[in-house]
Amino acid sequence: MEDITTQFEECLRRHLRSAKPNPINYDVELVQLGLDSMTAVAVLLDMEKTFGIRFPDDMLVEGTFRTAGRLKEAVQKLREVQAS
Amino acid sequence: MTRPLPDQSLGPEWTVLELLARGIIDDGERQMTRDLLLSETLDWGELLEQALRHKMLPMLGDHVISAGLRFDVPTTIYQHLESTLEWNRAQIEVFRRETVRVAQALGAHNIHFVVTKGMTFESTLYRGLGTRHMNDVDFMIAPRDRDTVMSVMQTLGFRPFFDWAKDPRREEISSRLNRDHLPKLAREIDQPGTRKINIDIANSLTWTKSPFDVPVEEALANPVEQPVPGMFGVSLPCFRPTYQFLFTVLHLFREAWLQKFVDFGTDVGLMKFGDVLRLIDQNHDELTNGELLRITEIHNVIHPVAWVLRHLDETFQMRTQKLFALERYGDEELLASQMQSGAYVRASRQSMRERLQSKTRGAARPVEPAH
Repeated sequence: MEDITTQFEECLRRHLRSAKPNPINYDVELVQLGLDSMTAVAVLLDMEKTFGIRFPDDMLVEGTFRTAGRLKEAVQKLREVQAS
Repeated sequence: MTRPLPDQSLGPEWTVLELLARGIIDDGERQMTRDLLLSETLDWGELLEQALRHKMLPMLGDHVISAGLRFDVPTTIYQHLESTLEWNRAQIEVFRRETVRVAQALGAHNIHFVVTKGMTFESTLYRGLGTRHMNDVDFMIAPRDRDTVMSVMQTLGFRPFFDWAKDPRREEISSRLNRDHLPKLAREIDQPGTRKINIDIANSLTWTKSPFDVPVEEALANPVEQPVPGMFGVSLPCFRPTYQFLFTVLHLFREAWLQKFVDFGTDVGLMKFGDVLRLIDQNHDELTNGELLRITEIHNVIHPVAWVLRHLDETFQMRTQKLFALERYGDEELLASQMQSGAYVRASRQSMRERLQSKTRGAARPVEPAH
């Protein structure tokens, strides 16, 4: 699968103010980058549109997007599943 | 409680709606409403638009009809108000039957629940006259019962429904993430005038990640049984007055502060402030015996409750904050400091009355009025 890092980070930066000027730390909780209940929805929706995926109901939980690393992992997994 | 007549600074149309929202209880208020409706300066277009925005058309219709204004109101407007009231009454009947059907199914599965909001208010605060508008039927359950209740609702023919939103997928994601409610549920029915029944099932008195909350299990304990009008021997469990009041006030607080309600155009409404005032009027003794104050202190919801009452007082020129001895609470800055994310509306100098009347709801909440 192609590397999604650039598109993924662009997507995060569109919604998270604190992520804009800095390199994204994949281990920091997204809440610390400005994620709240409204931006969480916006980020997930944008990820779905950007990567042509759909988060199943069981992935629409906080654990999926606690950190950028967890979210990227989830996006990659869905891309792989939906491509196969 | 003293009830001064409303000041008319926002125009005769708005004054009529304020009088109707708080409930007309004496001859002075009745006469004032009549005079305003018959005044030459009254703009019926403005009155109808604001009544519609605040879901008060059936209430206006009922008043115009019961006040005997048949030949004083433009004929087409009178006819429209009459049919709006009749339609509302018919829809309430449909909703009542469905509420009982759902309640019996939940009861059969030993689910602890209460019916809330419009359905309970209509037959109590609004005397079952069919004047309280409602979009859906609301229930409250405990979080532990979410899965069972969803399963029961699906057995009854209800399905998650997101098409009401401008962006259904956004709403679907939001409802899965914010687990203070089940996803909105709908069932299509073959009923003239009402094609679909929406049911909203909450499992929190506030919202996900709210800094304020009252435990649902505590609120659900010892519900009161409320008779269902027109259905002999049938009753529905409802919050007892203390928790009914708390939920209603906290719900109003939620709608006033969360940005998403402003975006949907479903934030604060005059009728909902009227609900609070009517609850106080009808349950005065139980609400002022000290228990409410104790619960708000224990659960640290005293500031949100006082904030709503402060704006209620400003809107209707009442003194409910004093009645509940909450004048020292409801601090705007303290509340704002606890709710700083972009999910909450920002402050403005607009008063609650002005926000309610405004047709271009800004993304801002009013700060507390200066007294």
